[in-house]
Amino acid sequence: MLNPASLAPPDVTSVNISVSAEGVTLSGSITTKEPDRSLGRFFRTVHEAALQNRLDELRVDVRGLSFVNSSAIRLFIDWAIWVSQPTGPRYRLRFVRNPNVTWQRVSFPAIAQLAAAHVVIEDGA
Amino acid sequence: MTERSDPAPVARPLILMRFRPVWTYIDGVREFCRFFCDTTFKTTDLAERASVVIQETLENAVKYSTGGDEAELELRIQSQGETIEFSVSSLPDPLHLPTLRAELSSIASQTPEEAYVAAFLRAASEPGEASRLGLARIRHEGRAELSLQEEPGGRIRITATGTVC
Repeated sequence: MLNPASLAPPDVTSVNISVSAEGVTLSGSITTKEPDRSLGRFFRTVHEAALQNRLDELRVDVRGLSFVNSSAIRLFIDWAIWVSQPTGPRYRLRFVRNPNVTWQRVSFPAIAQLAAAHVVIEDGA
Repeated sequence: MTERSDPAPVARPLILMRFRPVWTYIDGVREFCRFFCDTTFKTTDLAERASVVIQETLENAVKYSTGGDEAELELRIQSQGETIEFSVSSLPDPLHLPTLRAELSSIASQTPEEAYVAAFLRAASEPGEASRLGLARIRHEGRAELSLQEEPGGRIRITATGTVC
């Protein structure tokens, strides 16, 4: 389980981030110029915490994320690559998406193709 | 002797905006255009596709614009029948043009879905680099075909053409 108290989300305008023992929930939109500098670093910290805590699965709920730019999609691609490293501890990355949101419906299957054995896409209500 | 026929009707722009290439304007312009498409065409699907097209075309235009008074961006949306066109005119750094031409040509040589998956694979293999997903997103998520026009004075116009429904 993650320890939410040790994973303070960055303060990024337009996106709300909450951390639970199971993972991260995002809502709002991400259209900043360089989201890797704030959100990307935070995702990396969560990833490292998941490895350290030997999680079997980490849940990233993006259902409330109504719009993102391509730099933000890149962050999810990076995360899929982190969990597909051939050696060392790993966990399953579960993205919970809303298939009625175009960017989520179209982009997550392509992300899953990058790391099919380690990424699961779940359709949420 | 041939009779002169009337010229084909030319679509009038539904939206014509000019503004300086500043990142912070993109959100506001995109949301206005989303609202406009939703309200005018009564289709949420088009509004969502328009959001992707406008976000990615404007981001590219802002990223690669030269500075100065001539660098103003122009966004035009026009429709005729079932066809809708989004175009952005900008004054890019000339060094960026060959890359843009190559990118468009590569994307056009594949189906929208193939180009999209290829862009994701490339991004995955180039950690730390720019995403370069934008044009592929416009074609696949935005369901719009892209074209590039080079205009006098070094300006370029990227046009994304799709259908209303």
